[in-house]
Amino acid sequence: MKAEVIMPKVDMDQETGTLVEWLKQEGDTVKKGEPLFVMLTAKASIEVEAPESGILRGITAKKDDVIPVTQVIAYIVSPDEKFEAPVAKPAESAAVKAPEMPSEAKKAENETSSVPTMVAGDASQVRATPLARAIAREKGLDLSAIAGRGPRGRIYKADVLSALDKGVGSIAAKPAMVQAPAGAAPAINIPLPNARIRERIPQKGVRTIIAQRLGYSWNSIPHIYESVNVNMEEIVRLRERVNQVIQNHTGLKVSYTAILALAVARLLPKHPFLNSSFTGDEVILWEDVNLGIATSLEDYLIVPVVRTAQELSLESIVKEMSRLLEAARGKKLEPADMSGSTFTISNLGMFGIESFTAIINPPETAILAVGKMVDTPVVIDGQVVVRPMMNLTLAVDHRVNDGARAAKFLSDLKSTLENPYLLI
Amino acid sequence: MTNPETKREITMLEAVREALVQEMRRDENVFLIGEDIGVYGGAFGVSKGMQEEFGMERVRDTPISEAGIAGACVGAALMGMRPVGEVMFMDFLTLMMDQLVNQAAKIRVMFGGKVSIPLVMRAPYGSGTGAAAQHCQSLESWFISTPGIKVICPSTPYDAKGLLVSAIRDNNPVVFMENKLLYKAKGFVPEDLYTLPISKGDVKREGKDMTIFSYGVTAQRSLEAAEILAKEGIDIEVIDPRTLKPLDKDLVIQSVSKTGRLLIVHEATKTGGFAGEVTSVVCESEAFDRLDAPIKRLCGLDIPIPYNRTLEKAATPQVEDIVKAARSLAIEGR
Repeated sequence: MKAEVIMPKVDMDQETGTLVEWLKQEGDTVKKGEPLFVMLTAKASIEVEAPESGILRGITAKKDDVIPVTQVIAYIVSPDEKFEAPVAKPAESAAVKAPEMPSEAKKAENETSSVPTMVAGDASQVRATPLARAIAREKGLDLSAIAGRGPRGRIYKADVLSALDKGVGSIAAKPAMVQAPAGAAPAINIPLPNARIRERIPQKGVRTIIAQRLGYSWNSIPHIYESVNVNMEEIVRLRERVNQVIQNHTGLKVSYTAILALAVARLLPKHPFLNSSFTGDEVILWEDVNLGIATSLEDYLIVPVVRTAQELSLESIVKEMSRLLEAARGKKLEPADMSGSTFTISNLGMFGIESFTAIINPPETAILAVGKMVDTPVVIDGQVVVRPMMNLTLAVDHRVNDGARAAKFLSDLKSTLENPYLLI
Repeated sequence: MTNPETKREITMLEAVREALVQEMRRDENVFLIGEDIGVYGGAFGVSKGMQEEFGMERVRDTPISEAGIAGACVGAALMGMRPVGEVMFMDFLTLMMDQLVNQAAKIRVMFGGKVSIPLVMRAPYGSGTGAAAQHCQSLESWFISTPGIKVICPSTPYDAKGLLVSAIRDNNPVVFMENKLLYKAKGFVPEDLYTLPISKGDVKREGKDMTIFSYGVTAQRSLEAAEILAKEGIDIEVIDPRTLKPLDKDLVIQSVSKTGRLLIVHEATKTGGFAGEVTSVVCESEAFDRLDAPIKRLCGLDIPIPYNRTLEKAATPQVEDIVKAARSLAIEGR
């Protein structure tokens, strides 16, 4: 045998990977570095390359299997080698099969809790000295529940010891937000209808994460919503002007979402509390505007991230959004393209939705819901005239922002969109 | 903590001379070679009077050619002698680099161990004498990163004598750093000939709140700083590796495991300096999990040493700088 093919660990917090498809079949000759199979993590799908050249043998995983990372799923052998599948040890023999009975509560629960989230309070995000960590490990304390007094909340030995004194942070007292995958719980107790089943769709991968995060957001974050209607006639004009130029440069059309992204990215640095995260102990104001653009694919909600958008020109934003969308369609988004957003824009205008409210995507503290632009009679200077109007609905985390702060941002955004020359 | 059982106090300069004299009396293969070391007694007077006892053959003056001194040392060592070269200032080691780095450090392994190079190059180093950028450097990291060369840097007269004798008896090339300001520092030194183990560091002051790792003149300043901070209730452990290469890693790991905090102080420039290496030693060891604050480095500024005395002091860690850095590290998060 030349090499083992394993389910790789590509993310810090990844415990399993889903096998999407084999690109090579049993007995195929493969070259080192050639794509061997496609895997799906909680965040992205990734092509995994062959670790060696040879013949692919002993495939044990099939499509849709959820496999613990580092588990062997096939072997690469020499062409002249007689292959005998090694006897698998019991512990690693059975791939965790996609559950066939989704209502089997235990299993579903295991699945969800095995996928760590990135929400505030996650121990992997905690800053602590190695000694503080060692003591917390020894004493079974949850660092995320302990307040650190150092820079950016760094936890020292003294902080851990004082928490120990006060009984703070024992694992049992861990805040429920990480543990309880809200939304899953009621389904367990409420009886299902007595009806014919059309299809059972196991909850897994990206959908698990979505359920978990949005459940957490809905249950734990007090949302406030504010709406404005924006007269988009100047933006329509601006788009007409720049579209041709940018199309000549890049071959890409300028979408209204891109223009909106530009305006939001330029304004957020002036409204830092809307570009922030809340950890429970502190609010972190982000210097960078990493703009999540909520995008719906067939079975997916994904939020590709335009990084440091505050520094980008319209043309760069258009190009980056197109790159991300292309990658998303091919399920080739890198984990880095889909994480770390600090503010999200969600546009349902293309579906004809005129206005809607969105749920904050934690650890962000605000999200902007964008409706369809509609020619609407409005009164200007005492005259009823028709203008292209668009509804913007902002949701903010009331623990961080009050209504006035949200209103200032929204009115700033409205006047910028109505006088886009202010962007210069 | 080494506490020699003697009441005799001498300076480090006298301790170095005593080591040379006693070892030359014991072993006729040992000889000195350098610029103006004979009649003049050396740039700092270390070998004053030695030519009278040992003659011009064993205390040899050379022309002004550092490459020549180093080359002669390598050749003599190959022929079975135990040369002790003196370079007037460590800065001039630049002129010996080929002989030391490409020859002395390599010959033993390249000839399969058939020959050895028992040479010592004594190198006065450091600032504080107002001798400006070309006579004040601390160039230890160049030699620390050269396999085959040992680097020793004592901070007390006792360590200087015992380690210099060990360096002469060692079969590898040794760069022996002597701090110019410490030449006048006094300490207890036994009159008898003795050796101290190479690669064995020393706890100069025991403490529990944090560790300062330092050597040479900054080790002495760290001890002064520790006494000042003791009055504030901060209990500092000062460890002195004495040998920089090969380093006594256990000493560092044990001390940091105990205190959880480490400040590394040296006069050499920070970037690419030895402090970075020591930091990594700790991070790669089990002591990492005992760290309760980031490791801090207090080193020379990344500039040539200025001639102006005020600027010269500002460019290298002084007692008050160490007090400040140690205090802030000791109280962080407490």
